[in-house]
Amino acid sequence: MDSQESSLTMIRRSTLRFDENRCVGCRICEQWCAMSHFGVINSARACIAILRNHESQKDRAVYCRQCADTPCIPACKKYGALSRDETTGAIIVDPDACVGCRACIKACPHGAPRVLPGEKKVIICDLCGGEPSCVAHCPEQAVLFRGEGAHE
Amino acid sequence: MNSITGITGSIARVHLGAGTAGSEPLPLDRLGTFIGGRGLGAQYLFNEVGADTDPLSAGNKLVFMNGPLGGTLVTGSNKINLAFKSPLTGTYSYSLCGGHWGPELKFAGFDGLIVEGAAPAPVYLWINDGRMELRPAANLWGKTIPETEKALRAELGGDERIQIACIGPAGEMLNRYACITAGWYREFGRGGCGAVMGAKKLKAIAVRGTGDIRVHDPKGMMEFAETLYRDLKAHPKAKERRTYGTNEMLRTVNDLGYLCTRNFTEGYFPEGTRIDGPRMREDIVVGDASCYACPVACGKRSRAGGAFGSVLLEGPEFETIGLVGANCGVSDWDAIVKATQICDEYGFDTMNAGGAVALAMECFGKGIITAKDTGGLELRFGSGPALVEALRMIAGRRGIGDILAEGIKAAAERFGAPELGMHSKGQGFGVYDPRGCKGMALTYALSPKGAHHMYATTMGPEMAAKSTLSIEGKGKLQRDQQFSMCIADSIGVCSTLRVVLSVKALAGAFTMATGRPMDEQGLLTAAERIINLERLYNIRLGLSRKDDTLPERFLREPLPDGHAKGSTVDLESMLDDYYALMGWDLDGIPTREKLLELGL
Repeated sequence: MDSQESSLTMIRRSTLRFDENRCVGCRICEQWCAMSHFGVINSARACIAILRNHESQKDRAVYCRQCADTPCIPACKKYGALSRDETTGAIIVDPDACVGCRACIKACPHGAPRVLPGEKKVIICDLCGGEPSCVAHCPEQAVLFRGEGAHE
Repeated sequence: MNSITGITGSIARVHLGAGTAGSEPLPLDRLGTFIGGRGLGAQYLFNEVGADTDPLSAGNKLVFMNGPLGGTLVTGSNKINLAFKSPLTGTYSYSLCGGHWGPELKFAGFDGLIVEGAAPAPVYLWINDGRMELRPAANLWGKTIPETEKALRAELGGDERIQIACIGPAGEMLNRYACITAGWYREFGRGGCGAVMGAKKLKAIAVRGTGDIRVHDPKGMMEFAETLYRDLKAHPKAKERRTYGTNEMLRTVNDLGYLCTRNFTEGYFPEGTRIDGPRMREDIVVGDASCYACPVACGKRSRAGGAFGSVLLEGPEFETIGLVGANCGVSDWDAIVKATQICDEYGFDTMNAGGAVALAMECFGKGIITAKDTGGLELRFGSGPALVEALRMIAGRRGIGDILAEGIKAAAERFGAPELGMHSKGQGFGVYDPRGCKGMALTYALSPKGAHHMYATTMGPEMAAKSTLSIEGKGKLQRDQQFSMCIADSIGVCSTLRVVLSVKALAGAFTMATGRPMDEQGLLTAAERIINLERLYNIRLGLSRKDDTLPERFLREPLPDGHAKGSTVDLESMLDDYYALMGWDLDGIPTREKLLELGL
């Protein structure tokens, strides 16, 4: 694959987006993320987190943006637990290889990977295989799954 | 492993005197009979806080209790109930708080938290995933709500996911209507629980949890939640709430002539058009804010302040706008938003504050109190600056503010004008003048925590049926609305969500969450049991029909203007109607047969 083809793939490929101006802070996205992956409600098992700033009156999100340069993957060189799903672009965690060393969390510019409560493993958004549950259930369309350059 | 889902099955208990904390199992047999939340809270308080307990003594308790739906996918599953004996009314009291604090307590492993005793010096409680620790709070004492949140979060390492409930200076200074505030803008608002916490020298309760909430039928609950999202999107009331917040009601209530105006001397506020829902959205709203798991987002983010300095906050909501606005004759957003900020930051109830200032304004206008009593403040209806200054005085208990911080009843008595104190059992009224909405007369008179509007929200059905001025069938409506509210308060969902959550739907959700059988009748019977138990708490204090009262103003003074012009309240006949339906005697005491039937 030459570089032109590769950048075309990037343009077409959707990533998770967040619109701060639409979010009302209901955290329904957190609920569905945990429910879809673990069958329980637990914000600590969600790959997206909504945090409220009472001073600015804004809610912001912590989430994986499927970066083009994936700094998390080389950061995990020692254990080789991270890879990119070439279809969806999601970062996939190999739970058998991950030891919860937090190197990916340190490398991530958005602090998106999370250590699962009580376990030595991280979770990173897997885009639910291409149909993110958080996006499907956000009542505000504040969590979006869109390609680069896509218009609303 | 729990034998039951939905709940954690564990209740934390903290002894402030001994400085110890532990946990105990939630009595599962009471889940069916008292549901959770308000019901279970009433049960604990009835058993543990007796008639002779001074509300501000170490013997009083704070019983925080989530419901079985709390934290789940069910929309609006964010309300946690607090049961306590009120320093404002001297009676049984409960208060519900939305936001994100209640669900966090559940994630931390606890359905409920019981705080007892009093600490010798200021402390805060840190609950971190089942671990509990009491820590010194001398450095937090004296701080406002936002200052406390910021300082405490920093002390705990800055984790933005920590949810904090705390009191402000009002609670510390035992303002009788001080709140406990969670997440800056969500309160356990009424009845003075903040003063109880202040008397216990407990400044804050910080909670962080990473535990699971498991439900019995995850697939069923997911489908149910998706239905609720769809229904809410289409529901006209939910849409109105989203656009205008709870203040969507102001215009209709004013048009129907029962908007509290100038200490309830009138029921129609001519300047109401300046502070109604559409004007609020246009003039001051900059965004919407939701509580946990709620797509309605009735919370409004507003910016105003003008001459008082720029203010950005979550609010104000309808009851605040009505009571610090119309009831004080004020229709200026800058003053109303500034007034809201003062109450929110110092941590006291905007409703009782508005009622207290309105009382002082009427007394000032009538010459009952003078500039000598107010420290020179021209405390006149309609003056935004006077309103703001009076609230600052209440916040600091300065001058006349010290009297007003004792509550409407105590202040009216102190002024020598008890008849001008607009309260029942010491609790100030909500926005709705009962002369113009007869069902609300029963709500105010019967509520065990004093004149509280949310005990039975009859105004909605009364407006829909165009029967606000009729007393026909209001006993039954009162009973039905009491049950409906009690179920929502006990199961752990916000009452606003009743527009899509029928009692039958809630029974289904109870089973989806807990795996225990429940049907509509089961919830209704539990509600009747809870309401009777709350009644018994107050009967044990010596209360009866004689206390199910309203101020003379509502019974004898006809409304001078508006849609309900000429109207007064015929309370006694409505009470007869209601008592009979409840199986209570003419003195409002539940009969032996009724109590046996309910297993009390």
